[in-house]
Amino acid sequence: MTNKAARNLFIFGSLFFFVIFLGLTVDTMNQIDGRAPEITKDVDAGKMVWQKYDCIGCHTILGNGSYFAPDMTKIVEQKPAGYLKQFLMDPRGVNPKAAMPKLGISSQEADQLLAFLTWISKVDTNGWPPKPILAAAASVAGQPQSRGQQVYQSQGCSACHSIKGIGGTSGPDLTKVGANGKDAEWHVKHLKDPHSVNPKSAMPAYGGVPEADLKELAAYLVTLK
Amino acid sequence: MTVKYQSQKIAQYFYTFAIVLFLVQVLVGIIAAVQFINPDIFILNFNTIRTLHINALVVWLLAGLMGATYYVVPEESETEVWSLPLAKLQFWATVAAIGAVVLGYIWMGLDPQANKTVMGTQLLNEGREYIEAPRWADALIVVSVLLFLFNMFMTMLKTKKWTGIQGVLLGGLVFLALMYLPGMFYTKNMIKDQFWWWWVIHLWVEGSWEVIAGALLAFMLMKTIGAKREVLEKWMYIEVGFVLFTGILGTGHHYYFIGTPSYWKWVGGIFSSLEPVPLLLMVWDAFRTTREARNVTNKAGLFYTVAHAIFNFVGAGLWGIIHTLPQVNQWTHGTQITTAHGHLAFYGAYVLLVISMIYVTMPAIRGVTTYNQSRAYLAFWWMTISMVFIVLTITGAGMVQVYMERLMGLDYEAVKTVYNMWFWIIRAIFGVGFLIGTAIFVYDFFKIGKEPAPALAPAEQKA
Repeated sequence: MTNKAARNLFIFGSLFFFVIFLGLTVDTMNQIDGRAPEITKDVDAGKMVWQKYDCIGCHTILGNGSYFAPDMTKIVEQKPAGYLKQFLMDPRGVNPKAAMPKLGISSQEADQLLAFLTWISKVDTNGWPPKPILAAAASVAGQPQSRGQQVYQSQGCSACHSIKGIGGTSGPDLTKVGANGKDAEWHVKHLKDPHSVNPKSAMPAYGGVPEADLKELAAYLVTLK
Repeated sequence: MTVKYQSQKIAQYFYTFAIVLFLVQVLVGIIAAVQFINPDIFILNFNTIRTLHINALVVWLLAGLMGATYYVVPEESETEVWSLPLAKLQFWATVAAIGAVVLGYIWMGLDPQANKTVMGTQLLNEGREYIEAPRWADALIVVSVLLFLFNMFMTMLKTKKWTGIQGVLLGGLVFLALMYLPGMFYTKNMIKDQFWWWWVIHLWVEGSWEVIAGALLAFMLMKTIGAKREVLEKWMYIEVGFVLFTGILGTGHHYYFIGTPSYWKWVGGIFSSLEPVPLLLMVWDAFRTTREARNVTNKAGLFYTVAHAIFNFVGAGLWGIIHTLPQVNQWTHGTQITTAHGHLAFYGAYVLLVISMIYVTMPAIRGVTTYNQSRAYLAFWWMTISMVFIVLTITGAGMVQVYMERLMGLDYEAVKTVYNMWFWIIRAIFGVGFLIGTAIFVYDFFKIGKEPAPALAPAEQKA
């Protein structure tokens, strides 16, 4: 091959692939609006809040960002909205172990940010992030559970709390919660309305859950010692 | 040996600025590494430190490539730079603009509320990874790059010696400048925001920058070995051609899971799997040319050139291909595996490229033929061994994260603060090792040609 031929291959080959890329870009742009809900004023304002506080400087979103803090794509599905708002405005007031500092996010900004994060959770991401396959396999093959354990699982308690290392770190660790001196009656009261026993709590109220289930759950919690 | 054209010495301004920022990048990198162990260790939060870490990287590499271009174009065109005062103005204006941006980041880090929204855009930090610089700074950067490209183009017009090396170099730089533009407008839709953002990030590092690397590799092999231009340029065209044939559609590997259509899994999977091919060609090219080497005077320059080719392939190529297929990437996307790839790719492909150009061109700029090369090797081994271990620890952390968080469903924070703690500690220790290597290199940069060189063997004196 002569140098001139090599040069022409480089120039025209690159142009050829760039034209294909442009074609796919046009098609993608036409499809994107149909792959997510409508963008309301609050969603747009929330995206501006996201950028103002440089959230991506620690977090990732749609898997892109700084890998220092959790991914925010599905966060509104993982944690209760009330908790998230309180956390955004004062992270360590809610969870003393939180790594996130208090940035001065206002109540209005927190609402807008949550509107944006709710929007992002509904984007069609081709199934990302996938469900943890080993966790799913373990619960199928796992040991028989008590009624209280089943309630713990069905209400998604492990999104925020952990038992023996399994679960979230947003709320207190429950591994030894039965050793804190509180009886099942106290737990039922706390589950129905956390504010009634702890005014600073960011935990949502579970008053809507049948009383019998709450009693089973409380009975399970006091066994954790 | 000295420079043929006095204006080539302007390269030294850019190299010096680049090296200062390199040192800043490594210092804040160590702070960031320690913040993985204790987030409250420093007055500035992690987001500000990381913004400084990655922005210092991008700017110092660009400054280094600009300096290299100011050296290469006069040499290839066989004439002085069209306007030296314009080059100096461009340099100082760039330093001033970058300085203002950095102060803005720090200000925002101390008071997040200072990042006000003015005319629909953030005043100090746009909050978009890698292109955090606010809109007013974007405009200044564009002006600076246009002045630079104009000056280089006018230099080439003076003699109209259109060599392949400078043609590809300038082509790569124009492509680089154009690909900054998709990052300069606001989109309400986060999917579109990330789509265009990847045009900037991917088409820079896996497109235009690799084209520039191909051109500079040919230049460095020609200068250090005296290899034939015709052969070097032919392989350069083939290498940079394959870079763009695979790299442009390879952008698709960023479009698997961000809300874009699923056909990108096919496009990105196939083309990005081929991306290591041109990088392997560059390694082969460097080896083939080096085998012909006779009477190499600037051994350290050649050493760095070949090391650049190898680590470009390992970091950008191998550490990229391991997680580029959508079936793998659905588990690794957004984990420390990406961080590991980022570190080795930037080090191998671009840090070593700019340092190579510095070792190849600085002796002539300082007017010497030989120089004390021992510190160059010492710096290389400190930096490279440290970086390899930094990357291995982050890769290990990424594997633990993928297994425990993504496959087993453990909490992100638990994996980070408990299971990966030792990886962070070891990474920070090797970060200090890297700083030692960097300090040796920075010291050496200021000493090249300014101290007596060791005596040459008779055979080498003739070269």
